[in-house]
Amino acid sequence: MVTIVIVDDHPIVRKGLKSLFETEKDFSVVAEANDGFEAVTMAQRFNPNVVLLDLILGDINGIEVARELSKNLPRTGIVIYSMLASDHYVMESFKAGARGYVSKDSSSEELIRAIREVAAGKRYLSAHLSEQPSLGEMMTTNSPDFYRRLTAREREVFQLSAQGLTCAEIARRLNISRRTAEAHRANMMRKLGFSRPAALYNFAFQHEIQADTACVKPDTTKSNRKKLGKRV
Amino acid sequence: MINIMVVDDHQVVRQGLRSLLEAESDFRVVGEAAGGFEALSMAANLHPDVIIIDLVMNGISGIEATRQMSKTCPGAGIVIFSMLATEYYVLEALRAGARGYISKDSSPEELIRAVREVAAGHLLLISSVLDRTIDFFMRIVNNNFADPMQNLTAREREVLYLSAQQKTCPEIAKTLFVSPRTVEAQRTSIMRKLGLKNQRELIGFAFERGILTHEI
Repeated sequence: MVTIVIVDDHPIVRKGLKSLFETEKDFSVVAEANDGFEAVTMAQRFNPNVVLLDLILGDINGIEVARELSKNLPRTGIVIYSMLASDHYVMESFKAGARGYVSKDSSSEELIRAIREVAAGKRYLSAHLSEQPSLGEMMTTNSPDFYRRLTAREREVFQLSAQGLTCAEIARRLNISRRTAEAHRANMMRKLGFSRPAALYNFAFQHEIQADTACVKPDTTKSNRKKLGKRV
Repeated sequence: MINIMVVDDHQVVRQGLRSLLEAESDFRVVGEAAGGFEALSMAANLHPDVIIIDLVMNGISGIEATRQMSKTCPGAGIVIFSMLATEYYVLEALRAGARGYISKDSSPEELIRAVREVAAGHLLLISSVLDRTIDFFMRIVNNNFADPMQNLTAREREVLYLSAQQKTCPEIAKTLFVSPRTVEAQRTSIMRKLGLKNQRELIGFAFERGILTHEI
């Protein structure tokens, strides 16, 4: 029997997941939670094999919840179930102790497989996510945070690109040739998993990378996020 | 009997909606679609009383699908069911012909109420969305805000939305079944009307207006 706690702030999604899991004879949904605090409470009370956790829980960051859960309940497998599918979130989730990551786009068969694998102590990553080379690596080694894989120059190019500078402008600013700037930019985009400029700009606005920050912090938390409630 | 069609690209959500709706003795889920295009043809065949549709799906947006379905199925009450609840989306939804707007973290009771109200011909916006929508209208009415989006055509709005979703011109052209040159011309027109210089400014505008929201 695989016991599961479902954590999602959308009642309809929880209902859908519950009825999906009812079709698996060896799955048992022991509790549901609407937010981070409930997630930790329910997990501690029921000690499930798997916690299925969304990343967006109202104002609370699911990655923090994953961290709390893996600290307090190291034997509970955490499967992230989220619409967010960028390398960044996947990496942060695994760093926080999650062992599975399934994007909400995936089929229900994949989700069920993820829960089984994680309950059996393995790791799991949605098929189309694991196609990205940086993630594939991450699954096999505990490779360092990908920001650190950027060279200092690539980080500068990232910063300037995020501000909207063209390669020509970047070259002038950094006193390098345009071709060199283009090469750095291409490498940086590849390492960070951006397939197009719009993805880079989106990332920059998401993480509020401002013109005046000296370095890019690889941090998913927003300064105004609520803290988790008291621990039971 | 209220016949309902459900449109969402996540199977789990469709399943959740179905089990919730089917618990009501006078509701019947007559069809499920995973995207805008599927929804269009399905709605034309099924003529449901109510269509519950997500905003963000692959292909055309829920807004564009709503726009088209409210023309081809004028008898259907369309309820938007989305996590996004910024003024931008609510107004676009209403403009496109939606009669209801509820958010994904609404309670099952609110959803059921929305379906009943819309089936009866009324408008229903959940309260958090209602407040923002009214505020926005008031700003316009009081002339505190001249909305440059007013100048965009329906098609330009869709291209703007898809661009904000990081789609390239060729991709947008494929989605909308037009030529890439048409899309490029529309993009140019959008940038000019909104006073945007480049793609980065477009993304920035999208965040400001609530077309894109912070994920966490």
